[in-house]
Amino acid sequence: MVGTTEMTNWAVDLIEVRKTYARSIEALRGVNIQVGRGEIFGLLGPNGAGKTTLVKIMMTVVRPTHALGTILGRRLGHRGKLARTGYLPENHRFPPYLTGMQLLNYYAALAKVPRARRAENAERLLDRVWLTQWANERVDRYSKGMLQRLGIAQALMNDPELVVLDEPTDGLDPVGRRDVRELLVELRNQGTTVFLNSHLLSELEMVCDRVAILVEGLVSRQGTLRELTEHTLENRVTFRGDAEPIRGSLEKLSARLDGNTVTLPGGEVGPLNELIDFLRGRGLLIETVAPHRFTLEDVLVQAVGDQKLPPAKRAAHRKRSEG
Amino acid sequence: MQYWALIVDCFRQSRDRKIFWVMLIMSIIVAGAMACVGFEPGKVTILFGMWEIDTQWLTAGGGLREDLIAGIIVDILMDTILGQVGIILVIIATAGFLPTWMDRGSIDVVISKPMSRWGHFLGRYLGSMAFILFHAAVFVGLTFLAAGLRWGCWIPGYLWSIPLVVLLFSYLYCVSALVAVVFRSTVAAVMLTLFAWCAFSGIQVTDDLFTTTFPEWQKYRTAYKTIHLARWIVPKTQDITYLAKRYAKAAGAEEFMPADTPENDRRMMEGAVKVEAERIAMSPVYTIGSSLMFEVVVLLLAAWKFARTDF
Repeated sequence: MVGTTEMTNWAVDLIEVRKTYARSIEALRGVNIQVGRGEIFGLLGPNGAGKTTLVKIMMTVVRPTHALGTILGRRLGHRGKLARTGYLPENHRFPPYLTGMQLLNYYAALAKVPRARRAENAERLLDRVWLTQWANERVDRYSKGMLQRLGIAQALMNDPELVVLDEPTDGLDPVGRRDVRELLVELRNQGTTVFLNSHLLSELEMVCDRVAILVEGLVSRQGTLRELTEHTLENRVTFRGDAEPIRGSLEKLSARLDGNTVTLPGGEVGPLNELIDFLRGRGLLIETVAPHRFTLEDVLVQAVGDQKLPPAKRAAHRKRSEG
Repeated sequence: MQYWALIVDCFRQSRDRKIFWVMLIMSIIVAGAMACVGFEPGKVTILFGMWEIDTQWLTAGGGLREDLIAGIIVDILMDTILGQVGIILVIIATAGFLPTWMDRGSIDVVISKPMSRWGHFLGRYLGSMAFILFHAAVFVGLTFLAAGLRWGCWIPGYLWSIPLVVLLFSYLYCVSALVAVVFRSTVAAVMLTLFAWCAFSGIQVTDDLFTTTFPEWQKYRTAYKTIHLARWIVPKTQDITYLAKRYAKAAGAEEFMPADTPENDRRMMEGAVKVEAERIAMSPVYTIGSSLMFEVVVLLLAAWKFARTDF
């Protein structure tokens, strides 16, 4: 069932999106995601989290079991707004009998782009993705990377307000990936909203303004990268000596022993000095003291780990990590 | 714009397949073969006079009997070559249009565009119609010209074969489309469509046997009523040829029955002649209308299934 909400200023406003396959497989269990206009938003999660299902629901490729929400201010699935949206799915397969130019024109015609604008956009975009010389070659002669670039060009043919890209750098070499990142930033600077679904966390860290982590059909974390990692600061102290006898005492100090490294969550100076004094008092020689903040990968791994906890512990752990 | 894009894409896909060019070449060959046949008073010449066949019955008063020529053209060209061989080739050629279009990764981009699922399905369906329309027009057009330029037989009514063959194909393609949407298999679409065609024809032939050739069989009431009802429901694929003969003003089958036909065979052939005469005289509104009803129902079912499918 797709319900309606009042128009919002969010580019994407998904509320309680659910999808159940075959009456028993819950791919999405009530997803709530908000994407601001003109930002680059990243969706990440482990395999089977429901990322692609969510993206397909946004693009009406899959029908939700239940969903409230809007895309560009209109209810989810509104056909008119699809004309203002560009989409590149994962593992796309383009008609092999078309040339690059024909393909762009075909999809643009389906997106109701006027004929005159199609020709102009096709030339511009083929140039932008370095495929001008291949415009009149059949698509079945393109390499994987070229197909990916053509796919991105296809998604931009209708000058969309919202671009949804599922694994856009799949198959691209490092230079190609950098080029795509630059293109995404250009789009954002032009006011286009970009919704990215990617496994490459380093890429997301480089371009995304906000991200959401999807685990087992639910959003585990959502926010800016700073917000997600703000309360993950910890100090790591390496030492020489055997600290096993004092493992229990360290745990009472909320520290974690791992070989010859002790990790103390939080960035406060007081507890850190207490720990250092404690270690020195036990005859251990301090080698290094270094602050450490979670990467996006660390946040994801923690989120996946949290999902495996019983609900009560999950809530407590989440509260702790959000400070 | 969107429908046109879907139709053009479908046509491009068909043009990429070898079978498209095979059919085009076949049309040229058949028209060429017709051009090699000549009619002279009392005889037919093959390959510009290399062989001759006496055919007094084909000419009347020294002139060529156009109704007999029309009958031959409809039976051989329109019915056998185009209406059977051609249709089988087109069924095979088009059976993969919907399944490959619905492949994962292929359909996603298409149905994310601002067009309803029903519109997408209809556009794709019309694209397949464009394929048969092209080949029917080429075949009928070339053979029409061959008959006119070479034999002096201009049979404008023969041109009705173009929409009639397209209609025949549409009766069968609706089944192919439904199978494609349900099973997403090209092989299943081909097999079940050909099976359906055989079933439609079989029902019609059996009903004709009950009704006209062996009316004494009507004593088997249940079987007769079942077959008769089934005939009303299914598309009248056999009647397409009769309609073509009607519009081409072709001579009836009795003109082609030799005088020395054995008695048993004569009865069967007389039955066929009677059936043909009844069918030719029958209103096309019933023939086409009832067949289109079947087609519309099947297409609605296929479109509904397509609209509700998650890809």
